[in-house]
Amino acid sequence: MSEKSLHLRLGIFTSLFALFLVLFAIPTFVFAPSNVGNIILSPLFWPYVLAGLTGVIGLGLLASAFKPGANVPFEDEEGTAHPERAAPWLRLAALGVIMVLVMFGLPRLGMVWTAMLAFAACAFLFRTRHPIVALVCAVIVPLLLYAFFAHVAGVAIPQGNFVRLP
Amino acid sequence: MSLMDSLAAGLSLVGNVEAFFMLFCGLVIGVIGGAIPGLSATMAVALTLPFTFSMAPINGILLLLGVYKGGIFGGSIPAILIKTPGTPASSATILDGHPMAERGEAGRALGMALYASCTADAVSNLSLILFAGWLASFALNFGPPEFFALILFSLTIIAGVSGESLLRGALSALAGLLLATVGLDLVYGTNRFTFGDPNMMGGLNFIAVLIGLFAIPEIIAMAWNPVAHLGRTRALGKSKCTLADYLGSFKSIIRGSMIGVFLGSIPGIGAAPSAFLSYSEARRTSKNKANFGKGEIEGVAASEAGNNGVAGATLIPLLALGVPGDVITAIIIGAFMVHGLQPGPMMFILNVDIIYGLFIGLIVSSVFLLLVGSVAIRGFKFVADVPKRILMPGVLVLCIYGVYAVNNNIFDVGVMFVMGWVGYIMMRNRIPAAPFLIAFILGPLLEDNFRQSMLMSGSDPLILFRGPITWFFWLLTAITVFAITRSTLRKRVPLS
Amino acid sequence: MKLRTLGSVLALGVGLIAGPALAEYPERPINMIIPYGAGGATDISARTIAEPLGSAVGEALVMANVTGAGGATGSVAVQNAKPDGYTMLFARVGSHSVNPAMKATLPYTLDDFRFVTVYEINPVACAVRPDSGIDSMDALVAKVAEGGVSYSSSGVGSLLHLAGAMVLKEFGVEDPLSQATHIPQQGGGAAATAVLNGTATFICTNSSALASFVSNGQLKPLMVTTAEPVVGFDAPTANDLGKPALNQLVGWTGIAGPDGLPDDVATKWGEWMAAATEDETFRSTMEARGSVIELMDPEEANAFILEQYNTFRALVDELGMRIEG
Repeated sequence: MSEKSLHLRLGIFTSLFALFLVLFAIPTFVFAPSNVGNIILSPLFWPYVLAGLTGVIGLGLLASAFKPGANVPFEDEEGTAHPERAAPWLRLAALGVIMVLVMFGLPRLGMVWTAMLAFAACAFLFRTRHPIVALVCAVIVPLLLYAFFAHVAGVAIPQGNFVRLP
Repeated sequence: MSLMDSLAAGLSLVGNVEAFFMLFCGLVIGVIGGAIPGLSATMAVALTLPFTFSMAPINGILLLLGVYKGGIFGGSIPAILIKTPGTPASSATILDGHPMAERGEAGRALGMALYASCTADAVSNLSLILFAGWLASFALNFGPPEFFALILFSLTIIAGVSGESLLRGALSALAGLLLATVGLDLVYGTNRFTFGDPNMMGGLNFIAVLIGLFAIPEIIAMAWNPVAHLGRTRALGKSKCTLADYLGSFKSIIRGSMIGVFLGSIPGIGAAPSAFLSYSEARRTSKNKANFGKGEIEGVAASEAGNNGVAGATLIPLLALGVPGDVITAIIIGAFMVHGLQPGPMMFILNVDIIYGLFIGLIVSSVFLLLVGSVAIRGFKFVADVPKRILMPGVLVLCIYGVYAVNNNIFDVGVMFVMGWVGYIMMRNRIPAAPFLIAFILGPLLEDNFRQSMLMSGSDPLILFRGPITWFFWLLTAITVFAITRSTLRKRVPLS
Repeated sequence: MKLRTLGSVLALGVGLIAGPALAEYPERPINMIIPYGAGGATDISARTIAEPLGSAVGEALVMANVTGAGGATGSVAVQNAKPDGYTMLFARVGSHSVNPAMKATLPYTLDDFRFVTVYEINPVACAVRPDSGIDSMDALVAKVAEGGVSYSSSGVGSLLHLAGAMVLKEFGVEDPLSQATHIPQQGGGAAATAVLNGTATFICTNSSALASFVSNGQLKPLMVTTAEPVVGFDAPTANDLGKPALNQLVGWTGIAGPDGLPDDVATKWGEWMAAATEDETFRSTMEARGSVIELMDPEEANAFILEQYNTFRALVDELGMRIEG
């Protein structure tokens, strides 16, 4: 990837995002009372300023994409052709799914059990060379953390609906 | 009462094993608490507070101060080792500390963090003792217009941490500013980007955003390429921080301590901006400028000096005015009140023994920190040797626990995950994360102080230039912006 | 939202399985949610009572600060919790009478909670800088007529916000919203500092938050809102000034559970609180901070809060302070 293509991509995205903010997001999701005395005190003022600046940066990125000398690839870039083809993308997706499941599991299973599952799932997703150690850690680490946070720090760690720990 | 009498009175209060033992315990608790991401120095102090209710006042306060100081240093340990700041103040330490650890120089980085912290701590304590009254009355001159000018100047730090492209740094900063608008409006209390969710009304939790932005992208990157780290040395090795390292960074350490003292004595800024400001000043003046962000030891020194320099100075407004300088001192002030002590000018007359007892304890604390810190570095050393593919799931689990513990809210874990993906996308697109964070901290302060100024003056913008302090910061801002523009143009790769 | 429904269905199912074999309440630690940050008035009050309360309850009390949105985030967490008495809230004047009175957008109302007690009352005091030349409420009101008077608060919908407007209104200022400027700050500490450094003219807040400034001579109290004088505050009471209506303007801390809390749980809390507030250490600690320990049983607490809410609501509607967006 060169700076030219990166800035082109970022520039287009940023400019469109600024438009999205000004035209849709700010009017819809920012509420201002009707009796605002002065426009600069309105809750809308700062978001609009930021949206405007975003637009400026977007245009700046676009402009810099078209200046001479930008078409040099970055030196420390990893090769575009990944040796594993689609596998990295699948792993990213899997990690995303793990995170969603963690969010689902935390209030229901409780933090300890969810964390154990998440630890094990991640370790295998990363294809660890020490599967036994990973499993042992997956059980011990969340338990130790639980003992510390719940009993030393006095934090109400979510317990879930099934198995409660002391 | 003469100075000697006061000192003697103070000494008689703290001149027992118990007081020093409490201080020591505090430092140990603080370093451990600070080293656990999400637990942070603030939490550690809050958790220790109830134990002080039954102690003698001076012992309780020394315990809390120990936790505070230990926590601010402790935060740098995970920042360096696993790229997860243990406490917000140590996020600047990541910038150079973690690359050093990746290079197998974790020991050197940690050593420097400790020495810089102790030095800054000592400078900060001395300033408290010598200049408390003067700095406090100066701090009282800071109203919203002065804050606005100061924060505007602080935003120029962004240029210093943008890395290879100022434009992409600015993009990152704007994203941070926009994200910081989520929550209830300060002046009118209306919803901004909350989508009706009560969890978002309080704004996004700072620590969740922080950890999401720095630690989680590492884990995601691991999923992308689990073997990227192989072949690189990560072990702590024999690398140590040498005297030459320390002397080489000494100027930055002292400068960072001064910045810390200055920002710490003004209520409401806190340690994180100070660390970043110190870092960017060190980068600007260093001869190894190009190496900053890639594992420059002076960067670690500057950041740690910047955040620990705050730790003693926040006591200036607390003791001299009774005003808490940040969240942590707000908790500590609770300990004073429980014991019927009312910090403020009168305390220097009514409870002079306690004041001098505190001063003596503070001076000792810098030395204790050095001891506790060196043991802690050895204790946490093993983290660098854990195989990375087992370490990373562990970090994930630790972050889940830690971020939950900050506000006892599962929603924050979700914020952390989402910010993790944002951070990963930024990483892949070579957008630096540090400007995002600085903007996220400073953005609301800038907006709030602007609007408070406008409320004060009835919307007359001239109030933003109302006195010498504002002029000074406006001038500083103008000079910095000019310098940044000139150096970018000079590089012949304009704005990139 | 779908997820939540599914979750509650699941939870209900599990609840049915776990079924009726309910042992004596409490059989496990109770989560006590503090909707404000560590070191604040609510936090200190909660953590001080936790000690004697814990021994009265016989099970551990797990204190959890859930901060954000002026107490709303923590309150919502309890509102959505199972009404089994294992998740309780330290409710405060800001979160449970000012906020509901002022914010139309608040995700909860008073009906979503069942109060088991109010145990602490904090008098409110108004103060100015000694060098401001204002030495009485009348002088303050006269100054308001000249213009340029402002008051600080810890945010929109806080007790301080309402108190400033209510006090001025009571002293005859027709339209306090336009005649005096409200300058919100981030938190109570910042609000007091704003008066100290001259950003705002006066502040009305809990006497405990002002005590150290008053005793240090940094702030001058103009009045306290209680009928009785407050120790350490050399200022007339609201009744001395002929404004007994201001007696309603006090801070308080109480304990609430979600609506639907069983009666026996509420009764138990009444007993525990009676035992806990007898504790000598608790009393002396709280009184040293300027609070008045006044234990109310569930009915009294509900009536007290409702009355205060109605007073505030009437004022908010009259002045047009309600936040709709």
